[in-house]
This record gives sequence, structure tokens and C-alpha cells, in this order.
Amino acid sequence: MEQIAEIVISLLLVAAGIFGLVGSYGLLKLPDTMSRLHAPTKATTLGVGGVLIASMLYFWIFRDTLSWHELLITMFLLLTAPITANFIAKAHLHRFGNADDLPDTQTDHIWATFEDEAEELQPVMTRTTPKPAPPKADH
Amino acid sequence: MSLALIAALPFLGALLPGLLIRAGRNACATVTGAVTALALLGILLHAPAVMRGEVITAQIEWLPALGLNANFFLDGLGMLFAGLILGIGLLIILYARFYLSTKDPMGQFYTYLLLFQGAMVGIVLSDNILLLLVFWELTSLSSFLLIGYWKHLPEGRQGARMALTVTGAGGLAMIGGMLILGNIVGSYDLTVILQNKDLIQASDWYFPALILILLGAFTKSAQFPFHFWLPHAMAAPTPVSAYLHSATMVKAGLFLMARMWPVLAGTPEWFYIVATTGLITMVMAAKIALFKDDLKALLAFSTVSHLGLITMLLGFGTAEAATVAVFHIINHATFKAALFMSAGIVDHETHTRDIKRLGGLRHLMPITFTIVCVAALSMAGIPPLNGFLSKELMLEETVHTVWLGNHWVMPVLATIGAMFSVAYSFRLIAHTFLGPVRDDYPSKPHDPGFGMWAAPALLAAMVIAIGVMPMTTVGELVRTTASAVIGGEAEVYISHWHGFVPALWMSIIAVGAGLVLLGAHKPLEAMWLSTPRPEAKAIFDAIMEPFANAARAVTDRLHDGALARYLAVATLTILAAGYFAYETGTHTPGTRALTPIEPVPAIGWLLLMGATGSLFTYHRNRLLALVLVGVIGLMVSVGFVYLSAPDLALTQISVEVATVMLLLLALNFLPKDSPVESTAGRRGRDGFIAAAAGLGIGALIYALMTRDFAFPTIAEYHLANSKPGGGGTNVVNVILVDFRGYDTFGEITVLGIAGLVIYALVEALLRGGPANDRLLAWVPDQKRAGDRHPLMLVVATRMILPIALMVGVYIFLRGHNEPGGGFIAGLVVAIATIMQYMASGFGWAAARQRIDYHALIGWGVTIAGLCGVGSWFAARPFMTTNYGYFKLPFLEKFELATAAIFDLGVFLTVVGAVMLALASISRIAIRAGETVNVEPFDIQPDEEAATEGAR
Repeated sequence: MEQIAEIVISLLLVAAGIFGLVGSYGLLKLPDTMSRLHAPTKATTLGVGGVLIASMLYFWIFRDTLSWHELLITMFLLLTAPITANFIAKAHLHRFGNADDLPDTQTDHIWATFEDEAEELQPVMTRTTPKPAPPKADH
Repeated sequence: MSLALIAALPFLGALLPGLLIRAGRNACATVTGAVTALALLGILLHAPAVMRGEVITAQIEWLPALGLNANFFLDGLGMLFAGLILGIGLLIILYARFYLSTKDPMGQFYTYLLLFQGAMVGIVLSDNILLLLVFWELTSLSSFLLIGYWKHLPEGRQGARMALTVTGAGGLAMIGGMLILGNIVGSYDLTVILQNKDLIQASDWYFPALILILLGAFTKSAQFPFHFWLPHAMAAPTPVSAYLHSATMVKAGLFLMARMWPVLAGTPEWFYIVATTGLITMVMAAKIALFKDDLKALLAFSTVSHLGLITMLLGFGTAEAATVAVFHIINHATFKAALFMSAGIVDHETHTRDIKRLGGLRHLMPITFTIVCVAALSMAGIPPLNGFLSKELMLEETVHTVWLGNHWVMPVLATIGAMFSVAYSFRLIAHTFLGPVRDDYPSKPHDPGFGMWAAPALLAAMVIAIGVMPMTTVGELVRTTASAVIGGEAEVYISHWHGFVPALWMSIIAVGAGLVLLGAHKPLEAMWLSTPRPEAKAIFDAIMEPFANAARAVTDRLHDGALARYLAVATLTILAAGYFAYETGTHTPGTRALTPIEPVPAIGWLLLMGATGSLFTYHRNRLLALVLVGVIGLMVSVGFVYLSAPDLALTQISVEVATVMLLLLALNFLPKDSPVESTAGRRGRDGFIAAAAGLGIGALIYALMTRDFAFPTIAEYHLANSKPGGGGTNVVNVILVDFRGYDTFGEITVLGIAGLVIYALVEALLRGGPANDRLLAWVPDQKRAGDRHPLMLVVATRMILPIALMVGVYIFLRGHNEPGGGFIAGLVVAIATIMQYMASGFGWAAARQRIDYHALIGWGVTIAGLCGVGSWFAARPFMTTNYGYFKLPFLEKFELATAAIFDLGVFLTVVGAVMLALASISRIAIRAGETVNVEPFDIQPDEEAATEGAR
């Protein structure tokens, strides 16, 4: 039983290491930003995720303590990594992309965003212009 | 009431007027009066015992190693002065309530007044000469504030500065004199010093000590040649003049001479210095007073003259003369305060103090006329008023005084002084109130309301009462006080009729000649105006100018506003000091063996160095610089993890995240590149200094780390006592909240202040001016993204928020025993909140929370402070923590420590300060035209037109 666990943990660690290595290599190797984006996301999700699961298993089986930290970390990673990647892609498109090369958004806007068509609420201008300074008393 | 409390009361009370002015002017004046009345009550409660000849004492050890203790004692002399200070203070407070206009900040006035009052009471009650010096300097400082109260008047500011310079310089001299005196006797306690007359007068150091102490007393009491500051201090509001120059400030010098009389007086040096100075001052100032047209200037010089009179009496060194001096101090305080206040009334009602523009006021202001008549006649020495009694006694004393073997000098000059005194007193009455009613007053005069004339009227009544029944009213007080001054039993016999003694004839001559002088005022004045006389202010300014220029030159050279220069000077100084220490000391290489370089730390080190090196190249691109700074911060925190400092690592990471976020937001409104502003040579120089400093620090650290500690470290103590003493196993946290809790308290206060300062700076920026105009005309310098609040980010941050908050609470709770604590938890929670603001925009998010960040900072510091105060109730020193173990049903036994409350304060302050910084940045954004979205996620509105056109 323990040996199986050891093998599983080792496999997870090795796989995680490979993903980390491949991710880092890809970051250097791939030609442009959009393709490069693939490499580090694999490294963070699969690479780090593998290490975390391995750690969780290790502590559960060999140390008899169930640690939830790893699960939380995994969750944070899985939640933030796609958004980070999405933002990098967006920033790239924003700065270097051409609107005509992109697929049509099917809306009035150049960006495909969530929109509630029933309720078009306009942003509010809250800027207040400061009052002119009172005339200086003459003494 | 303890004497220490009486002395402290005005200082404590000084906090109140500033607060209560919001409840109105009456509340403000009432509370000030109540504080003064309470202190006066405290003195009066001791009065019966003091009258019996007892001495009340109170002792508090302050700095016993220096001989500086808060020792107070109250004898007759102290009681008379404290009574004058507080009693006349009460009348001044009443008078000022009606004198000050609605435009004057009254809270400030009463605060200054109480500070001054406290300092004066402190002087007269001190039993320790070092403590007395502290109060002495405090009177100089607080009188500076009072004299310069009308900040908009240049005369007020200059007068205040002159008074501070003269009295402050005298105070410095007096410090020297007092220290010599303390050294001779071997104790700084006044009561001990007062019993060592022979020891002091036999000492070689007697003369220097005497000169230095007299310098202090003469400058304070405006004696010749230091008298010139007093008339210039008349630019102050009249209540201040009345208070400072009748009963308090200038009497401090007299008090000191009277206090030191038993040990310093009686020698020829004392007689010739003090009596001669007093005599010269009396005659000279009385003469000048006659030719002053400004009511207050006339009164100012007459004050100088009367101070000279009292100084002369103290200088005679006989018990009888000292008794007369005491009596005249009382009389002068009563009539002069009344006169000053009346002058203020005249000024207030007619809008002028120029005697030449006044006259005929007796019908228009009958009440004021009556008061001035009584007080001025007393000042002239007309029977049966109290001024007559003390003047007669003074003249009598001069007759018995021999000056350099000459029997005539003293009495003749004293009579001349009295003659001038009569002349200017009558002139005050005649030229202001008598004569025909004029029709060209600047304002139509009439008597003021009761509130304003009540105080001078009461004093005028006292003038009459003391004058008519001197022995019944003040005889006992004078006896007690004079006994305290001479350090023995004083004989007091005051009466109107002494028979046809020389003093009577001198008095009659003085009155007659004074009237003649007044009659011949016009030709005399023409003569006075045509003779050249030194202008004190011009001389003073000429003397001060080189000093001011020298000071300005030094300051300008060192503080030219270039931060780089300050930094360079400081760094070079430290470097030079370090090099000097290295060169002059002996140096042996460290004995500790170096540890081998492991590959992982080596990689980390390379990353750190690489990022730092790149920063050198790329620092002009600000975004890139920020990224590199982030890398450095991250590597530093990894280093902390590697070196087993999880608390530091956690703090470093969260600080890093929060600062990078805030800096990114700020960068939005800054140029994206730093321009080259300095020459290559200058940059080379700065680079050299920086490199030298960095290498120097590196060498220092290397030297320290290759040796064992020279002393046992404090770490042993902390490790051993963390659990038994502080109740926590996380030593770092226990140090923060317990061992060094006071430091942390200071630090969170600084953090809170930093947050508030950011807010204040932005507030000032947005109030108008070039920066505000630039923001109003703001055009984004880069193309904006289409969706400014993307759906994915909004959803993700909402999901993370509860988890992040939970993590924050977890880190907070476990902090005492495992890595974590209030500071880190505060940063985590702040970052989680900042994320919400970034996702949906500040305006949208701020509309959905009701927490005021200012209040958060305030609560944080307050809770931490109260937690410290709480230990007082357990009779422990400030910030002693306690902990215990508790058992609740269904739960395991758990620990509660008061340190957690303190940590809560830290937590709140951190959250408040970070969020306030964010709020400040967003205020800039809103001024630059940022709109508030109605929905949590939206697109950039101003981008639409352009994109639509592009389609």
C-alpha cells in the first residue's frame, strides 16, 4: 500500500517537474506573445498543481494529517491563472492587435462583454469642480 | 489640593478651550475661568496654614539622578504671587471674553493664556531650581504666543520675537547662574539653598552666579538696559498686556529676586547692582512715559518705572525695604491691571489710543473715567489710595540709604522719579478724559457693557479698600509674604500719617513739581522731540541682523530643498565616520568559517542581483522599474523563507503586493518615463556615493557575520520568556505585541499618520492650483482598454473575497503562536478589498461599504492605546499583557491574550491606512474625469465613439 502511494506521489512530482520545465522552456522558445502565453499557464496549473497534490497525499498517508492548505492554494491558482492569462492576451490585443483581424463581437461594441440589453445604464460623472477661491481680503 | 496638581491644572485645562470653543464663546470663557478658579481655590485652601507660617510641600520624583524633581512648596511669597497670577487671571479671562472680537480665535487665546498661567504658577511654586528654570523658559515661550497673538500685525510678530529673544537670552544666563548656585550648595532644592546664605556669599563663585541670575531677572522684569522689549510687547491684545505687565510675566523677575533675597542680598555687590539699576530704570522710564502719546505705551513705561522702583527696594537689602517692595507689588498689580484694562476699553470704544486724539471723555464714558481716576491717582501717589502708602514708605527708605557715601543721591533721584510719575498719571487723566468734548473721535465713544468694566472696577475698588484700610485688608498678607522674603519675622506697620517726616515733604514736592511739569507739557514735549534719542528697536534690529543673516546663510546652505543633497551629505558623513572608525581601530578578520554556497540560494542571489542590475539600466521606464522592484521584493521574501523567517516573508510578500498595486494605480497619472534631469558628472558622483555606501554596508555585514556576538544577545531572553511571559510561541509576534509593544504602538501611529498625510496632500492638491488644472484637463496618454471592469475579474474577485477574508482572520488568530499576526492579516484583508475596488471601480465599490477609513485608523490606534492603558487597572505598567486559558462547552480549552486586542488595533490601522491611500488615488482619478459605473462590470464609455467610427 505504502509503496503504491510512494509511486503515485513520485509520479505526480516528476510530472509536475516536467510541466514546469516544459513551461519555462516554452516561454523562451515560442515565437510570439499569444503562443507564449500557453507555456507558463501549463507550468502554473499542471506543474504547481501536481506538486500540491503530491504534498497533500504525502501528509495524508505518511504523516496522518489532512492538510487543506494545498487545496486552497490549488483553488486560488486555478482561479487566478486563467484570468492572468486572459489579461495578458487582452493587453497584447489592445496594444498590438488590429480590430479588423478579430472575429465580430455581434454587438455594437468592439469588445465582447457581458451586457444586459434590457437595462442600459450609463456611467455617472461624479467629478466636482472646486469652487473658485474667495477673493482675498484686502489687508 | 496637592501643589503639583495646582501647578498642573492650567496645563491640563489648556486642552479644554480649544475643544469648547465649538460650544460657543461663553462656554469657552467659562471653562477657562473654571480651571483658573479651581486652581485659585486650591491655593486659598492652603492660605490659613500659610498665614500661620507653615510651609506646604509636595514632592514627586522625576529625574532624581539629575537632581531634577517635581518638588513644590508654598510659603507666603509663593502664595501672594500665585494668588495674584490666578486672581488677576480670572479677571483677565472675564475681560478678554468681551474684549476679543468675533474674528479673533478665542479658543487659541485661552489656550495660550492657560499655558502661560501654568508656567507662572509653576515658577512661584517650584521648590527645585531646575524645575523653576523649566517653568521660566515656558513663560518666555508662552508669552511669545500671547504677544504675537494677532499674527497678522507685523508689530505683534516683531514685538513677540523681541520679547522672546531678550527674555530667552536672560533665561539662558540664569540657567548658568542657577547651576553655579546649585553646585555651591550641593543641592538643587530651593529650601536647602535658602538656608545656606553664608556658604554662598563666602564662595568665589558668588559674584558670577549673582550676575547671571540678575541677568535673567532684569531681562524678565524689563530693567535698564533691557527695558526696551516691554513697550514693543504692547502690540499684543490689551488683556495680554494687562496680564503680562501687571501681575505676571514682568513680576517673575521680581519674584526671583525676592525668592533669592535671603541668600543673595545684603552684600555691597547686590546693593550697587540691583538698587542702582532699579533707580535708573525708575527715573528714566518715568521720564519717557511722560512723553508717550499712546495710552498703552505710557502705561508700558510707567510699568517699567514701577518695576524699577520695586527692584530698587529689593536692592536696598534691608528687611524694611523688602517689606515695602512686597506691599508695592500688591498695589502695582491692582492699579496697573485696572489701568491697562481701561486703556483697552478706551481703545475698544474710540478705536484709538492716541492721547492727542482723545480728550473730554469724562462725560461720554463716566464709568471708565471713574475707574481710571482712582487707579491713576493711586499710581501718582495721592492719599488715601494704596499707591500713596507704598510710595511714602519707599521715599522713607531712600532717606536712610547711603549711596557711595552720599546721603543725597537716592532721595533726590527717587523724588524726581516720583515727580515724573505724578506728571504722567495726571496727564493720563487730564489729556484723555478732561477738557472739552471733541467731535472727531474715530468712533463714537460710550461706556462698554458691564462684562468689560466689571474687572477693572473691582480692581479700582480694591485700590480704595487697601488705601483706606491697609492693615485690615492686606496687612497680614504683607507680613506673611515679607517674612517669607527676608526669611525671618517681618514688622509691618502701614499708616497714612507718620508726622512731618522727610518722606512727606518729598511727596509734596513731587506732587507739586509734577503738576508744574504737566502744565508745561507742550514746551517740554517740543524740547523732547527735538533732542535726539536712541531708538531701541533700530539698535536691537541692527544687533540681531548679523546673527539672523549668519543663521540664514547656514540654513540656506544646508536646507536648499534638494533632497539628493541632504541624502548625499548624510551618507557621506556616515561613510566618513565609518572609514575613520575602521582606520583608527584595530581590525582582525572574522573567525567564523564561511558556509558553502548551495545552488538554490545561489540562483536566488543571481536573480536578485540581476534584477537590481537591470534596474540600473531600465529605471527610466517606470513600469519596467516597478516590475523589477517587484521581483526584488519577491526574491527578498523567498530569502526570508530560506532563512527560516516565515513572519518576515509573509509581511514582505503582502507589503510587496499592496505597494505594487498602489504604485501601479499612481503610475496611471504619472509620466511613463523619467526624463534625464541631471548632468552625467552629477549622476556619476551620485552613483559613486551610492556604490560606496552599498559596499560599505556589505562590508559591515560581512564583518559582523564572520564573528561571534561580542555580547550575549537579547534573543535568548525573548526565546526563553516568549511562552511563560507573553503566552505565545511565535516569538516574533510576542516581541511585536508584547515585549516591544510600545514600539509597535509608535509604528502604527506613524502608519496612520502616513495614511492621513497622503489624504491631506491629495486634498491640498485638489483644492485648486496647477496640479488640479492639469487633472481637470486630463487626456489619457495611452489608448484605454475597451472593457475597464471585465466580467471575469469581477466574478473571480467576488469569489476570492470571502476566502481571502477567512485567510485574513485565520492569520490574525494564529498569529500569537504561529507565523501571522495583525499586521499581515491587515495587509491580506486590505489586498482582498483593493481587488474589489480594482475590479468594479472605486466609486462603485465605495458606494457599497459604510466604513470610514479615517475612523478605521483612529479606532486602530485608540484600541491599541486603550489595551495598553487597560493594564493600569490591574496596577501594572503601561502595556503589560496578560493571558489565560478558558474552557467553553463543546470546545477545547483555548487561550485568550490581551495582546490579541492590541493586535486588533494594529490590524485596523493597517487596513485603514492602506485603504485611505487607495481612496486618495481614486480621488485623483475622479478629478481626472473617471466616471462611476452603475453596474459592477462595464465598458469604457468614451472609447465607443472612436470604435464606432472605425467600423
